[in-house]
Amino acid sequence: MDNKKLWISFAFIILALFPPLFLSQYWLHVMIISLFYVMMASSWNLIAGFTGQVSFAHAAFSGVGAYTSGMLTVYLGLPPWLGILIGMGVAALLGFGLGYLCIRMGGIYLSLTTLGFSEILRIIITNEDQWTRGTMGLQVPGFFVEYSKTSYYYLFLIVTILLLIVIYKIIHSEMGLTFRAVLNDEVAASSSGINTVRVRVLAFAISSAMAGLAGGFYGHYLMLITPDVPSLGQMFLVLAMAVIGGMGSFAGPIVGSFVLEILSEYIRIYGEYHVLLFGLIALAMARFAPEGVVGILGKKWRREWA
Amino acid sequence: MIIEGKGLTKSFGGLTAVKKVDFHLNKGEIVGLIGPNGAGKTTLFNLVSGVYHPEEGTLSFNGMEITSLKSFEICRLGIARTFQIVRPFLKMSCLENVLIGIIGRGDQREGRKAKGEEARKLLKFVGLEGHEKNSANNLTLIEKKRLEVARALATQPRLLLLDEVLAGLNPSEILQALELIEVIRTQLKMTLFWIEHVMGAIMKASDRIIVLDQGEKIKEGRPEEVVNDSKVIEAYLGESDA
Repeated sequence: MDNKKLWISFAFIILALFPPLFLSQYWLHVMIISLFYVMMASSWNLIAGFTGQVSFAHAAFSGVGAYTSGMLTVYLGLPPWLGILIGMGVAALLGFGLGYLCIRMGGIYLSLTTLGFSEILRIIITNEDQWTRGTMGLQVPGFFVEYSKTSYYYLFLIVTILLLIVIYKIIHSEMGLTFRAVLNDEVAASSSGINTVRVRVLAFAISSAMAGLAGGFYGHYLMLITPDVPSLGQMFLVLAMAVIGGMGSFAGPIVGSFVLEILSEYIRIYGEYHVLLFGLIALAMARFAPEGVVGILGKKWRREWA
Repeated sequence: MIIEGKGLTKSFGGLTAVKKVDFHLNKGEIVGLIGPNGAGKTTLFNLVSGVYHPEEGTLSFNGMEITSLKSFEICRLGIARTFQIVRPFLKMSCLENVLIGIIGRGDQREGRKAKGEEARKLLKFVGLEGHEKNSANNLTLIEKKRLEVARALATQPRLLLLDEVLAGLNPSEILQALELIEVIRTQLKMTLFWIEHVMGAIMKASDRIIVLDQGEKIKEGRPEEVVNDSKVIEAYLGESDA
């Protein structure tokens, strides 16, 4: 990371410290949710945008994180941070397993398998209501003794920044380079000595762990977890954020998450149609502007952040 | 013997692309692999580099059986290749393309800086100095082929498989490419297994030629023996009516 990028990032972080001073409770909530989506879309981008595995199980893994941590805190009385860590581990293990299962699949087959996994998980959570409380929702403890949106905002901000640093480091490491090589040409990568199976499974496990982490924090913020967390509606929202923002770039999913979350607050009055609308926009973007909003906003600018 | 294949057979559906082929290469040799289109040349390369696995037969490299190893394992043992239809990583820079080959060696001891230096040197070696930050997509065909050679060399192979590196090049580019191959042979002392349709070039450069036709080896020998062989002429020109 060169100096210029470092200063720009620093400026953004400083700016991000101020919202609680002037935003209403409602808009602070929107910001917190946006940060959750930044974590989701950025980590999904790591597998979809960088290794080309379009997984539909990302929301499901956030559900794994949320429910694991939720049940551990409710039934065993574990503190939320420990619950989230374990939830992240469980998501990583399941991600490893699902990734391994999907090795020989590419494209549409991988997407369908992850779609199936996602639905199965949602159905299990809905039906095992003696543990998960089903559609009633599981009430879980929060992070702070005294509930305050400002505290949650800063907590989410710190976690999101840390997660983004990790993602940035991965993208710019040798591992990130092998991710891109696998995306570009799997046969050529393998013939150049890259263990493509290992790369793909590793990317899947890392990305799933990040979704688990995001889901864990999400659950302990809302303090009520429902099967909507691991739902496909949620998944498509995350997908639209990454695609519209710009897949395969670092800044794309961050921009996409804020834009779409804020936008969806404005069009909420028309019901749940916003997911449909975003889906259509994402489809059009994928067809005509695969580099997303960030890509359109100028190649030079994109290159500095990618 | 650096590599030896015995009775290699590979079919796709009803079509037998490679049929009971025996071949070997001695250390330091340049062996040309020729034959008409669809003779099974590239399929044989894909068997050697582990892209496909043979249904029958065995492959050994330096006396070690490699028949069922995966591509990346074979590469790490010391067999690298280029592709008939070039396959550089198009959305990556030239430097990153070569770095993949270096990372592919799986050696954790080298530092990042040393790897970057080495990649730069390899780009210079194949004549792509100044293209480090250029996206591979922006290269011309011969430059893409050079880049593939650099990526293959980065894995530090002992056997290099060249699949039609001269195809699609104009005469002056062919001369440049041949110069590079000569340097690879003399300076790096590498064993080369080489598919080519540009007959003049491969006949001049090879120590030995293997001819495939419809999946079978029909002739093997010194270039001058091969060009005058009736079976080879027949394979290329069709049966004579006389």
